[in-house]
Amino acid sequence: MRPRLSTTLIFIVSICFINIVNGQVKPVDAGQTIHHKTPKVFLLKGATIIPEPGKVIAEGDIVIRDGLIESVGKNLEHPADAYEIDLSGKHVYPGFIEPYFVQKEEKSMDRPRGNQQKPKPKEIATATSHWNPKVTPDRHVLENFTLAEKQTENLRNLGFTTAHVVPSSGIFRGQSALIHLGDWSPSSIIKEAGPAQSIGYEYGSWSDPAYPNSLLGAVALIRQTFYDAQWYDAARKVYKRYPQNNEQPEEDRALAALNIHLKNNNAFLFETGEELAALRAGKIAEEFDLNLWLKGNGYEYRRLEEIKELKSFIILPLNFPKKPDVATWEAALQVSNEELRHWDIAPDNAQRMGEKGIPFALTTSDLDDKKSFRKNLLRSVERGFSKDDALASVTVTPAKYLGLSEVLGTLEKGKIANLMVTNGDYFDQKTTIESVWIEGLEYLLRSTPDADARGTWLIQWSFGEEVRNDSLKITGEHEKPKGKLIAGEATIPLKSISLTSNNLFGFSIKGDSLNLAGIVRFSGTIINDYAEGQGLTPNDETITWSAQRVAPDKNDKKDRKKKTTEKASTLVVQYPEGAFGLEVKPTQPEIILVKNATIWTMGPKGILENNDLLVKSGKIWEVGKDLSISPMVKSSVVIDAKGKHVTPGIIDCHSHSAAFSINEGSQSVTAEVRIQDVLNSDDINIYRQLAGGLTTANILHGSANSIGGQNAVIKLRWGLPPDGILFEGAPKGIKFALGENVKRERSWGRYPETRMGVEQVIRDAFTAAVEYKNNLSSRMRGKGGKLIPVRRDLELDALVEILNRERLVHCHSYRQDEILMLVRVAQDFGFKIGTFQHVLEGYKIAEAIAEIGAGASTFSDWWAYKYEVVDAIPYNGPLMEKAGVVVSYNSDSGELARRLNTEAAKAAKYGPMSRADAFRFVTINPAIQLGIDNKVGSLEKGKDADFVIWSGDPLSMYSVCEQTWIDGTKYFDLDRDSEVRQKVKEERNQLIQKILTSPEEDSQDDSFKRGRRRGPNEVEAYSCVGGELQ
Amino acid sequence: MRNYVNIILIIVINYSFASDQVPAPEQKHPILLTNCTIHPVSSEEIRGGSILFEKGIITGVARRMVNWPENTEIIDLKGKHVYPGMIAAASVIGLTEIGAVAVTRDFSERGEVNPNVRAEVAYNPDSEIIPVTRSNGITLAHSCPTGGIISGTSAIMMLDGWTWEKATLKAPAGLHINWPNMGAVRYRRYRVSEEDAAKRREETLKKLDSAFDEARRYLLAKQADTGSGIIQHNKDLRWEAMVPVLKKEVPVFMHAGEIRQIISAVEWANRQNVKIVIVGGYDAWRVADLLKKYEIPVIYEGVNSLPRRRWEDFDTPFTAPLKMYEAGLKYCISMGTGGASNHRNTPYEASKAASYGLPKEEALKSVTLYPAEILGIADRVGSLEKGKDATLIITDGDPLEITTQVEQIYIQGKTIDMSDHHKGLYAKYKEKYLQLGKTE
Repeated sequence: MRPRLSTTLIFIVSICFINIVNGQVKPVDAGQTIHHKTPKVFLLKGATIIPEPGKVIAEGDIVIRDGLIESVGKNLEHPADAYEIDLSGKHVYPGFIEPYFVQKEEKSMDRPRGNQQKPKPKEIATATSHWNPKVTPDRHVLENFTLAEKQTENLRNLGFTTAHVVPSSGIFRGQSALIHLGDWSPSSIIKEAGPAQSIGYEYGSWSDPAYPNSLLGAVALIRQTFYDAQWYDAARKVYKRYPQNNEQPEEDRALAALNIHLKNNNAFLFETGEELAALRAGKIAEEFDLNLWLKGNGYEYRRLEEIKELKSFIILPLNFPKKPDVATWEAALQVSNEELRHWDIAPDNAQRMGEKGIPFALTTSDLDDKKSFRKNLLRSVERGFSKDDALASVTVTPAKYLGLSEVLGTLEKGKIANLMVTNGDYFDQKTTIESVWIEGLEYLLRSTPDADARGTWLIQWSFGEEVRNDSLKITGEHEKPKGKLIAGEATIPLKSISLTSNNLFGFSIKGDSLNLAGIVRFSGTIINDYAEGQGLTPNDETITWSAQRVAPDKNDKKDRKKKTTEKASTLVVQYPEGAFGLEVKPTQPEIILVKNATIWTMGPKGILENNDLLVKSGKIWEVGKDLSISPMVKSSVVIDAKGKHVTPGIIDCHSHSAAFSINEGSQSVTAEVRIQDVLNSDDINIYRQLAGGLTTANILHGSANSIGGQNAVIKLRWGLPPDGILFEGAPKGIKFALGENVKRERSWGRYPETRMGVEQVIRDAFTAAVEYKNNLSSRMRGKGGKLIPVRRDLELDALVEILNRERLVHCHSYRQDEILMLVRVAQDFGFKIGTFQHVLEGYKIAEAIAEIGAGASTFSDWWAYKYEVVDAIPYNGPLMEKAGVVVSYNSDSGELARRLNTEAAKAAKYGPMSRADAFRFVTINPAIQLGIDNKVGSLEKGKDADFVIWSGDPLSMYSVCEQTWIDGTKYFDLDRDSEVRQKVKEERNQLIQKILTSPEEDSQDDSFKRGRRRGPNEVEAYSCVGGELQ
Repeated sequence: MRNYVNIILIIVINYSFASDQVPAPEQKHPILLTNCTIHPVSSEEIRGGSILFEKGIITGVARRMVNWPENTEIIDLKGKHVYPGMIAAASVIGLTEIGAVAVTRDFSERGEVNPNVRAEVAYNPDSEIIPVTRSNGITLAHSCPTGGIISGTSAIMMLDGWTWEKATLKAPAGLHINWPNMGAVRYRRYRVSEEDAAKRREETLKKLDSAFDEARRYLLAKQADTGSGIIQHNKDLRWEAMVPVLKKEVPVFMHAGEIRQIISAVEWANRQNVKIVIVGGYDAWRVADLLKKYEIPVIYEGVNSLPRRRWEDFDTPFTAPLKMYEAGLKYCISMGTGGASNHRNTPYEASKAASYGLPKEEALKSVTLYPAEILGIADRVGSLEKGKDATLIITDGDPLEITTQVEQIYIQGKTIDMSDHHKGLYAKYKEKYLQLGKTE
C-alpha cells in the first residue's frame, strides 16, 4: 500500500479545495454556515434502465439513498421517505467514466513557442527531489490541483460522472487520482492515490540545454530512472543492515516513490502520440516488467497485431481528423495518401481494436471541443462499432481497469449512484442528455428548451385602449427561430427573438407601420401551444398579450440534417500505412534461381559473366554456371537475368533515415541513448532507398556531441515494425564526433569549444568508465553482500562495452589532427574504432588509421561546405585504400543513399581503381567495417541472400535497380512498383471524391498540431555535414 | 572573443583562397583537333572528325578538314571525344567559398528588394571551387543572387580569367525573384499556420507588385525626359536596374517549385508583361501545358533529390525532365543555388534523368545547348558550330558517365590549366605514402 500523503501534501491539498484528513470530514465551522441536512432519498420511476451494456429494464425504478443505489428493478416498493421523480420516457445509464482527465494548464504556463525556456523551477524543491526536474514520480496529481468548473461541467454535459485525473507534464509525471465530477465536496475524491503513474516522452527542443532535448534522451532517462529505482531499493536495504560498512546513500523521494509503484504493480500509463510510440512503451515495460497502460492516439489500427501483444489497457481518444483540404487539385497534391486514408479509417479505430480483443476505454482528452465526443462516438457506432461495446468503453471497462468495479460502472444495488438520464436511446442522434446523478445528487444539464416557438400563432395584444388581433409565423431552428408578424396588410419581421431554457420567449418589431413609431417589445412564456406575456410600446405603454398556436411549422427541418448513413471504411491496412505500403507481408520463396546474369560476387570469384545465383531459404547456396532446381521444390522463383547484372545488396555505413530522433545534444557525453529506441520503420525513404539497391544501413546518432549515442544496424525490410528491421547479430556500435559540430558554441556554454577540449572530454569519459568497471568487478567480489551495489549507469555501461571491445566506435571526424588524436586515445584505452566517419582528411593520415585497423567511411566527393573540409578531395577514398585502410562510401543522406552504386563509380574515376574494387566501397567493405561481413556484403555460399538485379553495369549512370532482395525475400521490384503507383493514384482519386461528396462536418482534430508525424511536404533530412546542426 | 575568432578566420581564409591555377592567355594560334569523335550536340556526332578554332572562335567542324591556316597547331586526339563545355545553369559559383562560414557568402544581400545588386562584381575569380568544377567539364556558370524577394541580377561567367570582367560572358543575365510559398510550410519543428502563411504571402506579393509599379513609373518618367530640362527625375538605382526587365530585354528568373507557386508566377508574369524563366520547377511538369502556352522555360533543379511528397513515385524527380521533354517544354537541368561546391556533378544529374527514360542525346543537351538557349547565350556557346566560342572539352568517353575522364578544356580557345586544389593535394599526399613506402 502507498503510505498516506505526507503532511506537506495534505496541507497543500487542503488549502487547495477541501479539508480532508484521512478521508474524514472536518466539523463544519459554525461561523461559516449552519448544517445542511436535506434528505438524499429518491425513487426514480418508470425509466428504461440500462444497468450495464447489453441489459435493459423496461419501465424500471431505481431507489437512491445517501449517495448509493439501494435497489434497481421493476415495480419497486416506494420507500416512504423517498422523493419520487417520474422518469417515464427517459433512459437511465450508468454515469460515464473519463479515464484521462487532465487539468487544464493555467494561462501563465502558456509560453510563446520558440522562446528559450529556462528549466522550470521545481514546485516544491527540496534536497530530496530528483536531479532532473522532469522526473517527479513522487508528485501527486492533486497537489496544486484546482478544478476548473467549466471542465467538469463540459464532462457532465456528456454524461461523465467520474474521472481518472492524470498528471500531464514531465517524463515521470506522478500518480493519478480518481474523483467524482460533481461540485466539490469531501467525498469528491474517490482515491487520492490513483492506480497509475503517468509517463510521457517529453523533451526540449534541440537548442534547449536541459537534458533530455530529444526523444532518444527521454527514453534513456526513463530506463535509467527505473534502474536507479531498483538500485535505490537494494542500496537502502544493504545500508540498513550494514551501516558501518557503507556511506549513507542519498535520499531521493522520486526513486522511493517509484519503488512503491513497482512493488505494488501499479500501472505505468505511457502517453503516446502514434502507434510506434506504443510499441516503444512496450519495450520499456518488457525490460522492467511493468504493468503497462497506454494513453492511445487514434492510430492504433495501423499496428493492431503488435499492440495486442502488449497486453495493455488502452485509453483511447476519439480524435478524428479534419477533412483534408482537397478543394482544388493543386491543394490536394499536398495531401498524402496516409492522411487521406487516416481520414477514412480513423472513425473505425475503436471498432477495429474491439474486434481484435484489445481492451480500451474512451476518453475525451484529445478533443478541443469536448462536444464532439458524442458526435464522434455516434459516428463510430453508425459505422458498425457495437452499442454495447461503445457503452462498455465508457462504463464497465474503465471501471474494471481503474479498480472501481465494486462501486461504479453499472447500476446495481450498493454501487455509487452515478447515472446519466437521457430522453431516449443514447445512441439516437436526436436524444439529449438531460441530467446526470453524481453520488446520489442530480445535476440538471443545460439543454434545449422544451418549448418550441415555431408554428403559426394567433396573437391578441392590447395596450391603452387598443386591442389588436394579428398572427405570428415562426420558422427556423428550434433554438434560433425567426419569424414575422402579419398585421392585416403589413408583414413585419421579428427582431431579436429569444427562447431560453426555462421557456422564456421574447421578440421585438418595428412598429412604424402600426402607427407605433419605434420598436415594440414583447416577452413572456410558452407552455405547449399557448403563450402569454407583457410588452412595451415605444411610448412606454404596457402591452398585454396572449397567443394560441393554430398550426405547427410545416417546414420543420429537424430531419433535413439527417445525412446518408456512414459506412465503415473498406480500406485494408497497409504496412506501413500510406502510399507504397504493403497489404500482405512479402514472402520468402524456398528457392530462387537467377539465371544468365553478370554476377558481381564481391568475393574471391570476382565478376562472373553469364552465371547463375541459387538461393535456398533466404541464404545463398551457390553461384555458378547452369544451375537448376529440383522439380520437387514447392515454392520457387526463377528469374531470367540475361543482360542484367547482379550484385550484393548495397550497404550504407552512415545513415540517419528511419529514425524519429537523431541527436541528444544537451550534453557532451550521451552514450546511454540508443537509436534502436527511436526507429521509424515507416519512413518512406526506406522504400525509396530499396529502389536504389540499398539493403543494409548503419543508423547513427548525430554529431552534436563528442560521445553520442548507440547506433542501430538495420535491414531495409519495408513493412515490418521497428523490431523487424534490426540486423540480427550485428555488433554493437556507438557514434563519436570531433571537430566543428561538437565544439560549436552553444548559447548555454557547453564544454568543449576547442579540439583541445574534445580530447579531454573523451579521455575523461573513459577514465570514469575504467573506474566504474573496476568498481563493478571489486563490488562483485565484495564482502558477502555487505557493500551497497554499484549503481548501474547506462552511459558508463556503454563506455565499458567499448573498453571491452564489444562496441565499435564510429567517429565523425574531418581533420588529420583530430583523427590522429583519437587513434592515440583508442590505443591508450585499448578500444576498437570500427570506422572513422567522413574522415575527409583521412588521406593525410591513412597510415595511422591503417595501424589500428580502423575503417574509413567517407563521402566520394563532398567538400567546401564547412571550414574543416576545405581540403576534402575525391581522391581521399582511393588514397586511403592504397595505404591499407578498408574504405567505404556512405550517404549521410536519405537521398544519396538511393544511388551509392554510382558513388562507387567515383572511386573508379578518381582512384583510378578497377570497377570491381570500386564497388567494394559500397558492399563488402562497409560490411567489414560493421562486422557483418560474415552475413552480407558479398554473394558467397551461406551468406544472407541480399542482392540486387540491375539493368546493366551498376557503375554506369544509365543503369537502374530493377529488383532488391533481402534474406531471399523481394522488397522492391520495378514492375510491381509501377502497378502500385497506379493503385496509389486510383486510391487518391477515390478518397478525394469521397471527401468532396461527404457531408460530414469538420471535427476539430489536427494531427499535425498534435505533432504526430511529418507533414506531407516536410523533409526530415538530417545530415552530419550541414553547416547548421539540427 | 567571437570577433577575434572571425578576424583570424578571415585571415586564414584569405590566405588559402587564392587558387594556384594560372588563367590562360588568349589563343595565340589556330588549333585543329583531329581524329576524334565530335559531338556538336546541335547535330549528329561526327566520328573521326576535326574541329578548328582561331582567336577563340570555332572556324570549322567537319568529318574531313581540308584547309587550315599555316600556323595551326594540330592535335591528334585518336579515340577521344569532343563536346561543348557544360553549363551550370543556376549556381552561386564564385559568390561563396565555404557554405558554413558566413563571411564567405556573397550571394544574399540584406533586405527584400535588391534589383540593383549585381552578381558579377562579387564573383571571386580565385575561388578554389572554380578550377575544381571546371576540371570535370563545366566551363560556364550562371552565378545568381538568391536573397530576399527580388535578389538582384545574375551573370554568365566563364570559369577562367584573371578578373571578373574577363570572366563575364553576359551580364545582366536576368533578374532573380523568389516566389513566396503558397501554402503553410511544415519543416521539421518549424510550423506556420495557414493564416500566417497566407498573410506572409500577401505581404510578399504586395511588395513585389509595388516594386514593379514603382519601376514602371520610373521608366515612364525617364522616357518622358527629353533632355530639354523641363522634366527631370533623379536616378533610382533600384528601378534603373529593372529597366531591361520591363523592356523584356532580359527575363526574370523566377525561383518557384511547388505547383501553386508556378501557376501564380505565370499569372503574375502575364499581368506584369515580363518574360520569365522558372527556376527550380519541381512541379513544372504538372503544368506543362500552361508553361508551353506562354513559352516559359524551366531550369529544373535537383534531379537527384527526394520526392517532396510522401505519396509520390520514388522516381518523381528523376523523371521530371522526361515528362517536360515529352510535353515539348523548353527545359534544362541544373544542380541549383543551394551550394557552390558540387556542380562538377552536373552531368550526372542529366544521366540520372536518362537512366529513367530521358533519351541520352536529350540528357546531353540539357546541360549544354538547352541552358545556353534559356540563358540567352546560345549564339555563343552550348554547341559546337562554326562561329560559336571554342568553349569545349576533350574526354575519353561519354561525359555523362562518372568513370569518364575530362582530359582538356578550352574556353574561348584558351588552353585551360587542368590542375586544381584537389589534384594538388592528391599529388602531395601520394608523395607522402611513397616516402612511407606504403605505395609504389
